[in-house]
Amino acid sequence: MFGMATIEFFAIALFFIAIFGLVTSNNAIKSIVFMTILNAAVITFWIGIGAREGTLPPIMETPYHIYMIGEMSDPVPQALMITAIVIGFSVTAINIIMMNTLFRRYKTSDWKSLYKMMREETAGSGQVLSDIVFDKDDSVEEGAK
Amino acid sequence: MSTDYILYALMALTLIGLALIMIERRVYRIIIYTAVFSLIISGIYLVLGSPDVAMAEAAIGAYAIIFMIVMAEKYYKRDRVDENGKKKPPVKIPKGTASVPQILLGLVFVGGLAVLFFHFAPTGIEANIELRTDYLLLSGEQVGGQNVIGAILMAYRLYDTLFEALLLVIAIMAVSHLSWLGKDYITEGRRSDIQKDKVAFYSIRIISPLILMFGIYLVANGHISAGGGFQGGLAIACFFICRYMIHNIYDMPVKKVLKMEEIVFMALVVVAVLTIFVGSDWVPYQHTVLFQNFQLIVANSLVGVKVACGFFILFYRYITIERSEKVE
Repeated sequence: MFGMATIEFFAIALFFIAIFGLVTSNNAIKSIVFMTILNAAVITFWIGIGAREGTLPPIMETPYHIYMIGEMSDPVPQALMITAIVIGFSVTAINIIMMNTLFRRYKTSDWKSLYKMMREETAGSGQVLSDIVFDKDDSVEEGAK
Repeated sequence: MSTDYILYALMALTLIGLALIMIERRVYRIIIYTAVFSLIISGIYLVLGSPDVAMAEAAIGAYAIIFMIVMAEKYYKRDRVDENGKKKPPVKIPKGTASVPQILLGLVFVGGLAVLFFHFAPTGIEANIELRTDYLLLSGEQVGGQNVIGAILMAYRLYDTLFEALLLVIAIMAVSHLSWLGKDYITEGRRSDIQKDKVAFYSIRIISPLILMFGIYLVANGHISAGGGFQGGLAIACFFICRYMIHNIYDMPVKKVLKMEEIVFMALVVVAVLTIFVGSDWVPYQHTVLFQNFQLIVANSLVGVKVACGFFILFYRYITIERSEKVE
């Protein structure tokens, strides 16, 4: 399809479906879940490209395996994708903690009511929405326990 | 080939899981479907010949993220009390998930993106095979070890790994900063619910040392077979969650862990700088049998300890949020 291998086309389809879910989800938890799926789709695409030549794991268990490198998958995208997975995890951790901050303040995780309340709050002052997210509302400057 | 059929079956399962996540309204079910989705997609990675990525994706997607979302969700459930002390109904995603104009708008948006993508996407790109062949042929000679991915991560591209560890540190700092609750909250006095269930309690007590052993095995054998610092570190951090479930949280030496993470990160930087100036030959007697893979083992262990400490602190912060209660 479109000059691509099936797995690459599948990864791109997964990416667009995840964007669709991100656009149409009403809840913050669902949005975070679709962010992780977006990350997984990109990783699938690169792993699929790496498996064009063959699908044998790139591990030289015996010296005999040197004759089989033609059938092995590409180790470079795999090594980079392990990095991408951990970075995606960091993004998710920060997403969840931001959602938690919003929840503590507004007691809801529904996007529509969140936007409504945030707009009401920022209407008079010159604040923007991101000021609220990063504001530690009633904290005292003292290192975390 | 039979591998193709397994691949098609896994793809179909992935799409079914995605549809279930989209339709579902109850939050706990969404969390479970996400875990299943991650497991299936790690199966796809395994079939495509990348066991290291599959292991990392399964560990991250099926327990680390799930643990954090469950902690946030438990916090929501507990905190929903209004001023008069009345309980509010639990969080529910609104009916129908999305309104019809929203869905139409989303379809138009995503469809437009897809059309743009397939119109401008170049077709028939050749992957660079020379680099792949070089790494596969020469890594055993130049770096040592049998796992080529481990050799790339810990020797050829050590600075990528360093950057990744740095990003994890930044994420931990952000989480600590945003999760600071203020003086009105206390975090002690609650124990985990699993202690009411004796069977789960004792089975976790039996399993948890085995998990720790598996993590150490993954770190120590990262240069020989699939596995390595990240996967092993994640397994060791999983041991921490088991400890949280069977003991009280405040017997954990958090400050020592913080100190250890700092020291290990500095050691990793020192190893990276050494490899710049001395090449990978900084280990004496490297070519004798005993020290053959010394550098890989050192780098794997450092990364493993670093990742384990980082995840330990992240989980600790999330558990603290879940346990916090407002002081009247």
